Amino acid sequence: MRVESAGLRQDLPGHSRKQNRKPLRAFAQPALAYCLLIAGIIIVVLPLMWAAAASFTPNHKVFEYAYPFSWRALFPVDFTLEAYENLFARGFGRAVRNTFFLAVSTVIIGGAANALAGFAFGRFEFRGKNLLFLTVVMLTFMVPVDLTAIPRYILVNSFGWINTWQGLLIPGLANSLVIFLFRQFFAEIPQELIDAARVDGATWLRVLVSIIMPISKPVLVAASLLMFIGQWNSFFWPLLIAPRKEMRVVQVEISLAIGQYGTVWNELLAGSMIAAIVPILLIIPFQRYYVQAITGTGLD
Amino acid sequence: MRLSRQIIPYLFLLPALLLLIVFNLAPTIATLVESTFIMSLRSGHRVFAGFANYERIFSDPIFWKSFEVTTIFSLLVNPIQIALALALAVLINQRLPGIGVFRSIYLLPIAVSLNVTAIVWGLMLDQNSGMINGILIQFGLPRQPFLHSVDQALWSIILIASWIGVPLWSLFLLAGLQNIPPTVLEAAKIDGANAWQSFTKITLPLLRRVLAFVLVADTVANFLMFAPILLLTSGGPRLSTNLIMYETYRRGFLYGDLGASSAMLSVMLIIVFVIIGVELYVLRGHD
Repeated sequence: MRVESAGLRQDLPGHSRKQNRKPLRAFAQPALAYCLLIAGIIIVVLPLMWAAAASFTPNHKVFEYAYPFSWRALFPVDFTLEAYENLFARGFGRAVRNTFFLAVSTVIIGGAANALAGFAFGRFEFRGKNLLFLTVVMLTFMVPVDLTAIPRYILVNSFGWINTWQGLLIPGLANSLVIFLFRQFFAEIPQELIDAARVDGATWLRVLVSIIMPISKPVLVAASLLMFIGQWNSFFWPLLIAPRKEMRVVQVEISLAIGQYGTVWNELLAGSMIAAIVPILLIIPFQRYYVQAITGTGLD
Repeated sequence: MRLSRQIIPYLFLLPALLLLIVFNLAPTIATLVESTFIMSLRSGHRVFAGFANYERIFSDPIFWKSFEVTTIFSLLVNPIQIALALALAVLINQRLPGIGVFRSIYLLPIAVSLNVTAIVWGLMLDQNSGMINGILIQFGLPRQPFLHSVDQALWSIILIASWIGVPLWSLFLLAGLQNIPPTVLEAAKIDGANAWQSFTKITLPLLRRVLAFVLVADTVANFLMFAPILLLTSGGPRLSTNLIMYETYRRGFLYGDLGASSAMLSVMLIIVFVIIGVELYVLRGHD
């Protein structure tokens, strides 16, 4: 149908005129697209390049090339590691270790709990399945965690968990978005794979660990990235629950540094660069998984 | 044996659902309950107060000012972010040499936390020696106060939020664009539709679901904007950036007035539910 109507149009004089303009358009359109793409990239990259360069600059020179602006602002022309050395001398290493520990624990413990729940929702039929999914998973997915921080704080306080690892870790383990991801993935695994193992007498837990997990690399990578980066970048809850110096995570440490060392710009930026580089280094190689994970929920 | 088989799914669900119920669902309900109590962080006494907290916040000009600022912020930031995100999604959806590199670079802000973004942009927008002013004076333009001005502070927060928001939401829209079968667009082209016509008549209607999701998710995320305010403006100057999430934090955790704070959070919770309800209604209507 379409092809026929296209054939008809080819004979119209107006169309052939359009065809003559095509070489120009074929050049102009990508050129315009590249211009816009590069303009956007400048906005994305400018702050990151300046912050990275300034973190390798002596403090009194942090703004030297930024105001008035010259290209030197984007490269560490007066290179020094002073900011990073001072930062770690102040105990920033502990904040990095705290955050790593917290993020890795969340991935392992939270990942296991969320995978189990996702498996149950994806593969089992049982009474109350839809009700539980709607009232617990969907509802908690919709309500932003920051909105309910006060009662959570009161609850965790009543457990005596202020300034503790439990207080930092446990409330963030279960993640409805991650349960979603696992459910979707597990639901699409062919039944024959599971049946074969079940006939051989394997328990469900065994099926999960030795049959399902090995073929679940995409969802495991995506879920781990979501949980790790979510925990690495989380701020509001750690700020409320663990403000004590020894318990601080990276995001809290750099944020409190604004008030405390208000004029030590290069250290503030060095801390910010460490906070930024970890998720960047994780996202770049695994971007396909990450993008699929975060956009998957918007499309179904 | 039969019984144990029946309880297996519940055992699988138990850890995650228990955690969600205790730390997410219960606090959601508790926020609404807490708003009817008057309590102080310092003394620890809670007294049932009915709607007294609501009466207090509704008769408080600072709350209304905060509500107004949040409304203006929402009406500006969401259309700006979604329009730019859509433009960016269309751009990075082009089949051009090297587009993969561009896509990767546009992912960078998504990895960076809002705190880091606020810190870096706060220094970039410094009224005395920030890079943006450094660029302005190179073009012979006057320096701007940005975060220190009643007129510009909220726009500065919009810029900071959009640096992450635009690339983030463009990913969703890009995924939506890639779900559109190329044959549909080719057919339109063959039928003589120009680029603009096929965008408005075919692409946009097919993106409706994703756009609705992005609109709601973006609105909710911006409604809770907090870190840049805490780190950069503390709600000022003259309450011009006193977004409601920051106001609840100020009341609850800086002044210890958890009752008023919970009442505000309950109002926000209801607004979030209304926003999501509208989304579900809109999406259901067309399926």
